[in-house]
Amino acid sequence: MPRPTDRPPLVELRDFGVAFTDVPAVRALNLRIGRGEALGLVGESGSGKSVTWLGALGLLPSTATTTGQVLLEGEDLLVASQQRLAHVRGGRIGLIFQDPVSALNPIHRVGDQVIEALRVHRRLTGTAARAEAKRLFDRVGIPDAEHRLELYPHELSGGQNQRVMIAMALAGQPDLLIADEPTTALDTTIQAQILDLLDQLRRDTGMALVLISHDLSVVAELCSRIAVMYAGRIVETAPTDALFEHAAHPYTRGLLGAVPPLTGPRQRLLAIPGNVPEPWNLPPGCAFAPRCALAGDDCAARVPALRQVSPTHNAACLRVGQPGMPA
Amino acid sequence: MSLLELHDVHRVYRVAGRMFGARRQVRAVAGVSLMLQRGRTLGLVGESGCGKSTTGRMALGLEQPDEGSVAFDGAAMPPPGTASWRRTRARMQLVFQDPLGALDRRLPIGTQVTEPLDVHGIGSTTDRSARAAELLRAVGLRPDQAAQYPHELSGGQRQRAVLARALATQPDLLVCDEPVSALDVSIQAQVVNLLIDLQERLGLTMLFISHDLKLVRLIANEVAVMYLGLIVEQGEPETLFAQPAHPYTQALLAAIPDRSRHGRRALLAGEPPNPAARPTGCAFHPRCPLAVPRCRDESPALLRRADGRLVACHLAHDTV
Amino acid sequence: MRFFLHRLVRAALTLLIVVALAFFILRLSADPALVILGPDAPPEAVVAFREAWGLDRPLPLQFIDYIRAVLRGDLGRSMINGAPVLSLVLDRVPTTLEIMVPSLLCAIGIGVPAGVFAALRRNTLADRCIMAAAVAGFTMPSFVLGLVLVLVFAVDLGWLPSGGNDHWQSAILPVLTLAAGSAAVPARFTRGAMVEVLGQTYIRTASAKGLLWDAVVRRHALPNAAIPVVTMVGFMVGGMLAGAVVTESVFSWPGLGRLMVTSVASRDLAVVQCILLLVATTMVGANLTVDLLYGVLDPRLRRGGGSH
Repeated sequence: MPRPTDRPPLVELRDFGVAFTDVPAVRALNLRIGRGEALGLVGESGSGKSVTWLGALGLLPSTATTTGQVLLEGEDLLVASQQRLAHVRGGRIGLIFQDPVSALNPIHRVGDQVIEALRVHRRLTGTAARAEAKRLFDRVGIPDAEHRLELYPHELSGGQNQRVMIAMALAGQPDLLIADEPTTALDTTIQAQILDLLDQLRRDTGMALVLISHDLSVVAELCSRIAVMYAGRIVETAPTDALFEHAAHPYTRGLLGAVPPLTGPRQRLLAIPGNVPEPWNLPPGCAFAPRCALAGDDCAARVPALRQVSPTHNAACLRVGQPGMPA
Repeated sequence: MSLLELHDVHRVYRVAGRMFGARRQVRAVAGVSLMLQRGRTLGLVGESGCGKSTTGRMALGLEQPDEGSVAFDGAAMPPPGTASWRRTRARMQLVFQDPLGALDRRLPIGTQVTEPLDVHGIGSTTDRSARAAELLRAVGLRPDQAAQYPHELSGGQRQRAVLARALATQPDLLVCDEPVSALDVSIQAQVVNLLIDLQERLGLTMLFISHDLKLVRLIANEVAVMYLGLIVEQGEPETLFAQPAHPYTQALLAAIPDRSRHGRRALLAGEPPNPAARPTGCAFHPRCPLAVPRCRDESPALLRRADGRLVACHLAHDTV
Repeated sequence: MRFFLHRLVRAALTLLIVVALAFFILRLSADPALVILGPDAPPEAVVAFREAWGLDRPLPLQFIDYIRAVLRGDLGRSMINGAPVLSLVLDRVPTTLEIMVPSLLCAIGIGVPAGVFAALRRNTLADRCIMAAAVAGFTMPSFVLGLVLVLVFAVDLGWLPSGGNDHWQSAILPVLTLAAGSAAVPARFTRGAMVEVLGQTYIRTASAKGLLWDAVVRRHALPNAAIPVVTMVGFMVGGMLAGAVVTESVFSWPGLGRLMVTSVASRDLAVVQCILLLVATTMVGANLTVDLLYGVLDPRLRRGGGSH
């Protein structure tokens, strides 16, 4: 079966950058997402993982400037008209956010909010729209859908609100769903339900998924490929298993070591020293070098390009491929 | 003798009802007993609404239980606001989730770290800066950072400052309520390592409250799992996580994302319970895949199994 | 129901306190007898006056008498001309409303859209200009503006009358003066409410859903901003009767404000108290209505707390 990366990508970011009044938040990003692919995007605060997609879809305030290209099946969204962008948002690329309660309009019933998306993208109105909204509610696992359509966001729990958001995002039948930390604000057991739902939906609809999270294990469950971001750049991309077993970039290895295991010996964690640099105060060359145990003088000379560890595995580190380093 | 003892504590809140409705009663903690020995760390885990934070506040004497008793170092916890309570507070400290909220924006951290010493009148004012330097070093900050303000520090550094302040009075008990949840993963690891170090070096007694089971497994000597205001299971972390006895613990563990699990695991259905509308009998029975009629009628007591594990479940003790 | 009763009781209590304060302060501050009869009045006339109006009795008793009378519907008589106070005061209300209602409509009709406009273009030149104009209107004392307008339009240009209420044209300048000052409040407040709403996550969600920006503003931003704005309007309506004192004096407009000024000057106690009671009642009533309205408009308050 051909791998997603063999076919022309659904979405491609080429040399994409986002800056807020001259302070770069995302730099020289290259990423391809194939049809039906599940990609995990992992990073901590300041990595630019959310800003990337908000910028790609034109959802950032006017203080942000974008550079490069965002290609949706060849069409560059960064130069598209407002009408075209509005059509793409929700209709081709859906987006769900972290805190569902505040991401929904508090004075509109949740059913109406889904129906609004149905009206915009599928021109459904009246009873047809309502029936479809109910079907979507059922699809995302909201019990007692008929009744819940009439409720307001504050009358539902966090988990149910997130399901509403998913229903709303699905209404436009997008080819790609970007889920920005969808479960971070939810309880563990509810998190599992929502992740499971996203997985099922992706398999059933053939939709591609970009799952953004700070938690590698959340992303690992759902995604076949993972990209790790640090200080506005992608530092490593690899298939999930390869990333966990042979992480090449020191930052990724640090992230993996920072999470306490559920099984195995109870011992101190492998902590990355120092802090994430501020976007206006980035160190020269490799942004991770000041915190890196393997850093040398060459690391500060210039930003390392992505080097191949294997045909599907890249890491932006000068130490990749050197003798003695794990490949 | 235990350092901290909670005996069947309850905490009920009266919540204002809707505009034209009556007020409701919410039983946030519904009968929790625990004993914490000196030098040990007890982890309290659960999801939102389980009552773990409220239990923590009662342990510190910040709130008084509506039923039951709290005893610290053999003596009953004095009511909040009294002079004896203030004296007791010097021996117990709280570290919670939001380090920026816990620190005063207008004071340099050196001053804030030694503030408890001023409040409780410990030591002389002349050795304050020396003490501040000592405390900062103990948490991995540099003594010269004493002059910095909270907004000049990163999230992890702020939390370290909060820890330093908590340790200033050399407390017997440290209550940590989600101390690292607001921090980035790589910083979490730093602060967690620091906590483990302090545990070893100072022989700290800790009540560690968190929703993160992996973290609690690392830090705690004993773990108590809470659900809707009650402890449903308690035991040694290694065995408890390897072989959970209570269906809720099993569900919690199953819910932890893990890459090796590609097939669908047994997911817990339904929503977290509403403390204002407690189910009859066992609080967990509406969502429990193993529930039997007895579970609806009778609330299970927290009983000790042969292997030392405490479980509140009829089925776990084969007493159905 | 409990909520409503609670508010009602509080409103009544507020009214009582306002009336009591006014009552005692007025009677303790000056002697109406001397003011009305004049400083040269013979002492027997002063004593007789006081006796006739019950001013020689102890204050607390006077207050109880007053409250009793009010509850009966009798608000007393004017000390100057003996006319029943209630009808005297109520006669003036329509006159005041003749300038207050148009000015309120102007202030809101200009202020609210200006605030929305400023918020949508925040931190641009247009925004700063609008806000500067609002501040100017607010800080300019109304009597200065009023006198300037009279000078320009009535005296120099002769287009409009300078005072009185003989024709409908006489209302123009007072309305303008009032509106200029009070437009600032809705403008700033609306801008603030809009800016806050525009910063919320659900606005971003609405855009992410594929709505064009004007649809986002129309359907998501404005309705949410409207809630605090409507309550603000409620307060402005409540303050309508009280707001025209200075302007009515400048333009000799024979409304409630002028009556208040002349009655205070002559210590015509019953009239002053009646006006105060009326104004306080409308303000407290507006407050109460606003409270209830908020509960109706904002679904989060309607059904209370989340269900789980």
